[in-house]
Amino acid sequence: MSTVLETSGLFRRFGKTEALRGVDVSVRRGELVGLVGPDGAGKTTLVRVLAGLLAPDAGTVRVLGRDPSKDPTVREAMGVMPQRYSLYGDLSIAENLQFFGRLFGLRKKDFDERTKRLLDITRLAPFTERRADALSGGMYKKLALACALLHQPEVLLLDEPTNGVDPVSRRELWELLHELVAQGMGVLLATPSMDEAARCHRVILLDQGRVLADGPPELLVRELDHPVLEVLGGDRNVVDAALLAHPDVRAASPAGTRLRVVLAPGSTERVRVALAALGARMTPVVADFEDVFLARTAHHEAVAEAGAEARAS
Amino acid sequence: MTEHAIEVHGLSKHFGAFRAVDDVSFHVETGEIFGYLGANGAGKSTTIRMLCGLLGPTTGDATVAGHSVADDPLGVRRAIGYMSQKFSLYVDLTVEDNLAFFGGAYGLSGKHLRTRMDEVLTLVDLRDARTANTADLPGGIRQRVALANALLHAPRIVFLDEPTAGVDPASRRAFWRLIRRLANEGTTVFVTTHYMDEAEYCARIGLMVAGRLVALDTPSALKTLWVPGTMLAVHGAGLGPAARALDTLAGVHAVEPFGAGLHVRVGADLGDGAAVTRALLAAGASDVSVVVTEASLEDVFLAAVATPEGPAATAAGGAK
Amino acid sequence: MNGIRLFFLRIYAVAFKEALHVRRDVQTMIMALVMPVVLVLLFGFGVSFDLDHLAIAVADQDHTPASRAVAHALETSSDLRLVGGLDSAADAEQAFHRGDAVGVLVVPRGFAAKLARGEPSDVQLLVAGSDGSTAIQVLAKAEAVIGASAARFAAPGASVSLPISVATYIRYNPEGRSALMIVPGLVAYILAIIAVLLTALAIAREWERGSMEQLFCTPVGRVEIVVGKLLPYLVLGVIAVLLVLAAGAWVFDVPFRGDLWTLAAAAVLFLIGMLGQGLVISVLARNQMIATQAGVLSSMLPSMLLSGFLFPVENLPTPLRIFSNLVPARHFIAALRGVLLRGNGFAELSGELLALAAFAATMLLIAALRFRRRLD
Repeated sequence: MSTVLETSGLFRRFGKTEALRGVDVSVRRGELVGLVGPDGAGKTTLVRVLAGLLAPDAGTVRVLGRDPSKDPTVREAMGVMPQRYSLYGDLSIAENLQFFGRLFGLRKKDFDERTKRLLDITRLAPFTERRADALSGGMYKKLALACALLHQPEVLLLDEPTNGVDPVSRRELWELLHELVAQGMGVLLATPSMDEAARCHRVILLDQGRVLADGPPELLVRELDHPVLEVLGGDRNVVDAALLAHPDVRAASPAGTRLRVVLAPGSTERVRVALAALGARMTPVVADFEDVFLARTAHHEAVAEAGAEARAS
Repeated sequence: MTEHAIEVHGLSKHFGAFRAVDDVSFHVETGEIFGYLGANGAGKSTTIRMLCGLLGPTTGDATVAGHSVADDPLGVRRAIGYMSQKFSLYVDLTVEDNLAFFGGAYGLSGKHLRTRMDEVLTLVDLRDARTANTADLPGGIRQRVALANALLHAPRIVFLDEPTAGVDPASRRAFWRLIRRLANEGTTVFVTTHYMDEAEYCARIGLMVAGRLVALDTPSALKTLWVPGTMLAVHGAGLGPAARALDTLAGVHAVEPFGAGLHVRVGADLGDGAAVTRALLAAGASDVSVVVTEASLEDVFLAAVATPEGPAATAAGGAK
Repeated sequence: MNGIRLFFLRIYAVAFKEALHVRRDVQTMIMALVMPVVLVLLFGFGVSFDLDHLAIAVADQDHTPASRAVAHALETSSDLRLVGGLDSAADAEQAFHRGDAVGVLVVPRGFAAKLARGEPSDVQLLVAGSDGSTAIQVLAKAEAVIGASAARFAAPGASVSLPISVATYIRYNPEGRSALMIVPGLVAYILAIIAVLLTALAIAREWERGSMEQLFCTPVGRVEIVVGKLLPYLVLGVIAVLLVLAAGAWVFDVPFRGDLWTLAAAAVLFLIGMLGQGLVISVLARNQMIATQAGVLSSMLPSMLLSGFLFPVENLPTPLRIFSNLVPARHFIAALRGVLLRGNGFAELSGELLALAAFAATMLLIAALRFRRRLD
């Protein structure tokens, strides 16, 4: 059995909001799957349904062949790191680890070995007596990950594990993740960072409760039919404003001293003409996964504001 | 002296024997976007708390908007806006109610409050969302409400502590557009972030390692200084195992995973990437493509954290 | 076998963690241990049904040694306090109205002469009826004092006629000290509130800080969480019971005449029941403020009004009297009074113990069943 996690046709609503609208995802053994999407796309709801913390309104979830909302034994083989602060702030690092170690029924020898290793990797060893409340954001996230890994789960669910984590610690966490995945763990990781998504074996792009794309990040980049270019010259503020207003521009963002734009398919010439009038020109660049994200979810900002408007009226 | 929005002189904060902030000096120009970077626990938040007048320095002083943080912390707090890392709005209130409440806390009322609410909502493009419930808004929009909140009393300096943590890429861009707009209108912006691509948007960057300010300059100057040589972006299959072959190749200064590929920093001799391609292919990689790229601030960050004593201590070659 | 080991290991883990929270949280410790003792002392001194120093005025129209002796007897009584002399019964109205006195004794002209002649002689006792229980006490105490003093002046064989003649014989509490009645009631009342609050907050706190999400991601079961959460607070509660009883014995001389083990069993069952009630509240509430309010209301009102603490259960209207059987404080107070004052043991109190056990079991069952391992 190589598939460790699988859903089919997941639906879940909260009041009038449909958070999940028919979601099919899967994770195989030894696979690192990234889950990306705009804020409010349903990422956290999906992770919670997979963890058995929420029941779906329709559809099925199978983790290691079992339904996590009905069969609690599957939790013994599953590690979950929620997005929210979910450890005990008045307990120290050592006490938090000890508590979760006991809940998973670890023998003292195993517990001592694994804690030592996890504390070394996360470089938390010098701070074991410090209370979780007093940890910086990044240290707290590392502790939460250590707590989720203590029982050596076969399936790991991570909801934005590197928010607030500095680049050095983030790199260490990723090395640890790659090592675990190489040993056969199946990992689903929700992240707002496209940089991290690009490092996954496969990426699932979720938007408004639906799967918009699912595949290896290189493949999704190669299949992107939106031109990606850099804009040079012209008055920066004038060009920026013009790009923002142009209907063919899906995204514009500064990249160093230049502006990087993602355009609607086949619109390069129209934009080129418009920019030429402002004294700016464009050169094509290699697209990356962030461009894919921006191109596929470009409607989002407008939709969110339309929603706010609807509520306002 | 006082034309600088922020002036910091030998600022230190000790907690017992631990030096959270150790003799830090710098200044921030008026209307500048100043990025403050550092590893978790390097002393960024402690510095910000001191500059906002929330925490007294152990030694040294700073002048923020003309007020001394040691002698006049209340004056500092009145003159600045602060948006904390944690979400600090009442989610059960509407956008407008939140603004009215915090405006009241700053002593705004009546017509003046109403005018300011209009102005800040226009600034963050949320005029239409004023009666929306804060709980219903997506994270990126909420951050804009929080920013509007911090701007209500028209501060000349705003401190933004990781304003975009956990926000999706499109919303992050929208947020940074607001930051640039603020700076163009003359507000000084002091911002921290862990997203190195965002740090590129800053005019100047200060980098903290273990309580000390180890680097301070424009992004491009920092790159030249800390990661000299040529940066090659390598893509292909089977790069992970093959990358070890580069460790023994003369002229290679550093190899770092970057996205799905590698960033390889090399001396001038290997600048065309041919030798790197050959070495990787020989070590089992396939479909290898190499392009010259600009070093990223992430490269700077990693170099600075690894050798805080200075760029001279990094791998030899090319340092100006 | 391993399943059983894990079951107890998880209970231990939850209990240990909860004990760490309690140890770090000074407020909880104070609430659990210091508050009950302070409250018992406050209430014990403040809420007394014994009325001392009742203000009495005398209108002596006789002006004889006998009449003055009656007034003097009132003055020297520890229960009554002479506030002044009046000229006539008409002035009594004024004294009542101003609140100077709650009773006026009128000794009519010719009182001494009648006594000496051996004729029945009358004194008039006017009592302010605005406070019923005070009036009754004034009547009873004045009667006793006057009866005793007048008898000394009466001719042999003569009688002094008084409005009421009361002869009461009180067992177990011969001095009629209300401390002996109040302390057991207070113990139950205070422990009920505190025990319910302790656990009502314990689970609501996990919801609020977000740790419930992580807890639900582990194999820990509902019963394990419920039992584990309960244990440290049970220990705290038992210590609180011992402290309160010690304070009662030391300060108010509350005796301990019965069986220690019966009392222990009643206390533990009562605590489990009240802690369980708190768990039910926090399972349903999820937020500390609502949990606090529901906890205080649901424990305070029944334990005060329907438990026999302030009003005898027998005097309640029938529907309330039947309902009061469901209030654990009622059974616990009965058991406490039984053990402390009447010297009872298991044999006499089996009914109360059974009722307490039934309540505790029901609460734990509801808590475990209603406790859903879901975030929605």
